Amino acid sequence: MTNKSKWLGFIFVVPFLVSFLVFWLIPLLYGIWISLHDFRLSVGNNGFIGLKNYVDILTPDTIYNRTFMTSLKNTLMFIVLSVPPLILISLGLALLIEHLPKKLKTFFRTVFFLSYSISVTAVSAIYLWLFGANGGYINNILMKAGLISSPINWTGDQPYAWLVIVIATIWWTIGFNMLLFVNALDEVDGTLYEAADLDGASAWNKFRFITLPEIRNISIFVMITTVIASFNLYGQSLLITRGGPEQSTSSLIMGINTTVFGNNQLGVGSAMALLMGVIMMLITGIQYWISYKSDKDDLAKPSRKERKRLKRAVNAGPTNVNQHPAATIDKKERKIT
Amino acid sequence: MNMKKIGAAASTGLLVFSLAACSGGDSSSDSGKTQIKFINGFTGGDGAFMTKIVDGFNSSQDEFEVVQSQEKDHYTKFKSGNYDLVVIHETSLETYQKDQLIQDAGPYMETAGLAEDDFNAAGIQSGTVEDKLFGVPLDIHPLTMFYNEELVSEAPTDYEQLKALGETLQSENENLYAFGLPSTGLTTFYFTAAAAQNGIDLAKDGYLDFTQSDYADALMQYHDMVFKDNTSPEKLGLDGEFQAFMKSADEGAKQTAVTMTGPWYYQAVKEKYADNLGIGAMPTLFETAATTGNAHTISVAASVEDEEVKDGISEFLKYLYTPENLANWAESGQTPSHLATLDLITEDPEKYELAAKNQKQLDTYVAAPRVYQFDEQMRYMNEVVFTKLTSEPNLTKDALMSELEKATKAAKQIADTQ
Amino acid sequence: MRQKRIKSGILVAVASVLAVLFLFPLVWMVFTSFKTLSESLASASLFPRQWTLENYASIFSASADSNMVQWTINTAIVTLIGTVLVIFVDVLAAYALARLDIPGKKVILGIVVVALTVPGIVTLFPAFYLFKSADLLDTYAPLILPYSAGTLGVFLIYNFLRSFPKELEEAAYLDGASQWQVLTKVIFPSIKPVVTTLGVVTFLAIYNDFLWPSLVTNSDEMKTLTLGVATLVQGSNFVNPAAMMASTVVATVPALIIFLWANKYFVKGVTNSGIK
Repeated sequence: MTNKSKWLGFIFVVPFLVSFLVFWLIPLLYGIWISLHDFRLSVGNNGFIGLKNYVDILTPDTIYNRTFMTSLKNTLMFIVLSVPPLILISLGLALLIEHLPKKLKTFFRTVFFLSYSISVTAVSAIYLWLFGANGGYINNILMKAGLISSPINWTGDQPYAWLVIVIATIWWTIGFNMLLFVNALDEVDGTLYEAADLDGASAWNKFRFITLPEIRNISIFVMITTVIASFNLYGQSLLITRGGPEQSTSSLIMGINTTVFGNNQLGVGSAMALLMGVIMMLITGIQYWISYKSDKDDLAKPSRKERKRLKRAVNAGPTNVNQHPAATIDKKERKIT
Repeated sequence: MNMKKIGAAASTGLLVFSLAACSGGDSSSDSGKTQIKFINGFTGGDGAFMTKIVDGFNSSQDEFEVVQSQEKDHYTKFKSGNYDLVVIHETSLETYQKDQLIQDAGPYMETAGLAEDDFNAAGIQSGTVEDKLFGVPLDIHPLTMFYNEELVSEAPTDYEQLKALGETLQSENENLYAFGLPSTGLTTFYFTAAAAQNGIDLAKDGYLDFTQSDYADALMQYHDMVFKDNTSPEKLGLDGEFQAFMKSADEGAKQTAVTMTGPWYYQAVKEKYADNLGIGAMPTLFETAATTGNAHTISVAASVEDEEVKDGISEFLKYLYTPENLANWAESGQTPSHLATLDLITEDPEKYELAAKNQKQLDTYVAAPRVYQFDEQMRYMNEVVFTKLTSEPNLTKDALMSELEKATKAAKQIADTQ
Repeated sequence: MRQKRIKSGILVAVASVLAVLFLFPLVWMVFTSFKTLSESLASASLFPRQWTLENYASIFSASADSNMVQWTINTAIVTLIGTVLVIFVDVLAAYALARLDIPGKKVILGIVVVALTVPGIVTLFPAFYLFKSADLLDTYAPLILPYSAGTLGVFLIYNFLRSFPKELEEAAYLDGASQWQVLTKVIFPSIKPVVTTLGVVTFLAIYNDFLWPSLVTNSDEMKTLTLGVATLVQGSNFVNPAAMMASTVVATVPALIIFLWANKYFVKGVTNSGIK
């Protein structure tokens, strides 16, 4: 490598480094600094107060503690309610598409992925009116069908409020996870199934012993990203239920927003955001650790298919690698998930 | 897509930023007019009328230009943006003065030729903090009663009449009710009404004390209106007092004959009921006749220093507080605090129907208590307590009391952050 | 074989039922947008009894309080430029890290991986406050630039290149190609699948972002579609479901069209298994 290339390499990295510094590192450090001060949104800094903001948030019965704990509890509740269906239903849809006649695959894949193109605010608008309590369309249908005798207060009563938010979230985002699974199922080596068919394996056993291990990594990836996405619940709660009834669907981000813009406390809000970040990293770390541990028991070695593809990719040279990005991806996967 | 294209696109992008970055921050437009950035929360039916006034001002002279933003969360936007002029509710005025976000409006009024005695007493009270006018009084908007003349022949004036009306309607159709209590939304007005009509002062040493026993009794009456008297349906949800008034019982929805709501809904109810729309004063739900609500005032941002902008603001106020211009605001259903404009309204009660009616209510108008961060101190009450009152059939006074203690504790802590 | 046909028939039937369920909210939205105000409030039937175009007329009328067209333009500007910028910045950096000898390489790579694990919420409010202090709120800058600080793209492309054989590049150098030519003629064509993935993921992320733009825009003219619809949902004190749905239709249709047109890229992008 020449000096010139050193210089050039530096030039190439500069745009990224500048952007990273200005929009990520500096805000991060500044956020930590703000969280150690009595910092008001309106008038700015009122002086250094050490860890007081954190102490206030973690001391029972302060307003900030109540805001943070209530919204943390609600957000965890949403994760528990939304993540299993977001994974299982998307896997179910992917399996369904996998077994459809070839001609129809694309059509149904598009239909199930379509709602992903709608913004969260439009999704919320639709569900807000669809599930109107007094004279809303869903209530009218259920009443006409005789399934309910009096209208259900969908957005103003629990557990219905969570149900509407979860349904809206599933409808909105399921397509993305589904596509990941569709792809993972495509990657499964067909010869494995053929061999199993010769052995007369049942459909369930084929799924259990061939499909599941083959899509294990992608499932872990989907789980981790879905949990992170659910942590960031904001638009649906804000617009469909306004955090109600009785603040039971108010999410962490809503709570932080109230603290910053309602109470004017940028310092406390920044401390809350940092705490939220730490909690998210912990939960992601735990998931990672659990999957890593169970992977170890699994004899962590590349599957047959993986080995084959790696060999093919290496032999075929660069032109072919395009068609087999997975060769590198599996490596990455092990790195992250 | 090759690298050349990408490079071209990226440089175009960078060009756009530099343009975008340049367009912020200066106060003069291409036309060379001095710009005054004005933000308000008039996103309801009244917004168009304020826009009409602003447009009128902009075409009336060629030195200044008022650029208006109407935003639902305009307080948030005001805190993070650069605005010169802002509409602030009476209940938030003190907070904004304490947080050093607004300045004394006196000098601007003087330049515009406005004096205190150009406004009614409620208006002056709404704009005053520490003996100075920090907000120029715009209007008082009391809780307003609209009713459906097909179902009620005459405006009910007290709770007994409403209860009787409810019984009559229920015997006709079980989906028909006298009026509706919201679960959340405009509930602040209902909380202050319960205090005002029982002669209770909620403010204590700068915070709101909800734990007074007779206040709890008053709130339990709301609970009884739903669960004992069946005067209002339960669980009407956000803005339910208004939504239920707009529904139709024939379609299987719960419909009310009367609504006590904000005057900004005037356009909407007028559209639906036309000639069958009745307007009345807030009925006495409790002990004494009193009406509550809120007021809009216009404040100047603390950051305004530019002399030209200052002149522009005075010029705009002068234009706004001319009866024929401010009458537009009255046409939207709001009741101006400006006496000369009120005179104009009295002359034409047909055209300014709602303002003329609401003006009569002002004798019994009781302003909301003045505390720091009023909205935040009310938050728990609005988001939790009123929902409980209208959705829990078995709510006891003791259970309510423990909720009121929570709300008061929060209010106290918020007051202490000053 | 007949058994197989029956089985696939059942599966198609199940998929069709699910497809109807999935499409229903969209269909309901479209029909509601043609209803009159009072009918939409009552909401008794799916089909309008009385069709009206009034809701659409009011969106596009001169006195409309919604800047649908402006919002659409803003959304296009922000998503397209943002996506291109992210790709541009990340490809250059990843190439330099994977192929060129730069000082502090290990540190930069370490930072890239660590930053991946840090949730966005921690930088959000301070970044907002910095933009506010710099007087840049309500411009395109905060709506576009911060996305380029993400490290996912650098990480993906770097990983791809690292396991990508160098022979081709070396051959090109021997033929006397310059660094830039190697990058444009050799590297870029081969990393296309990863770039597609990055482009799709970035595009969707920017298009769907709600919290960040809601912090950094103040005026109606600067809103994106996502924000604009939000103001309509919460906006008027009085909300008219029919008008609301008409606005939602108008806000959704451009995205749906782009989506259907670019569907194969999206699918390719997402299923490239590049997002790992």
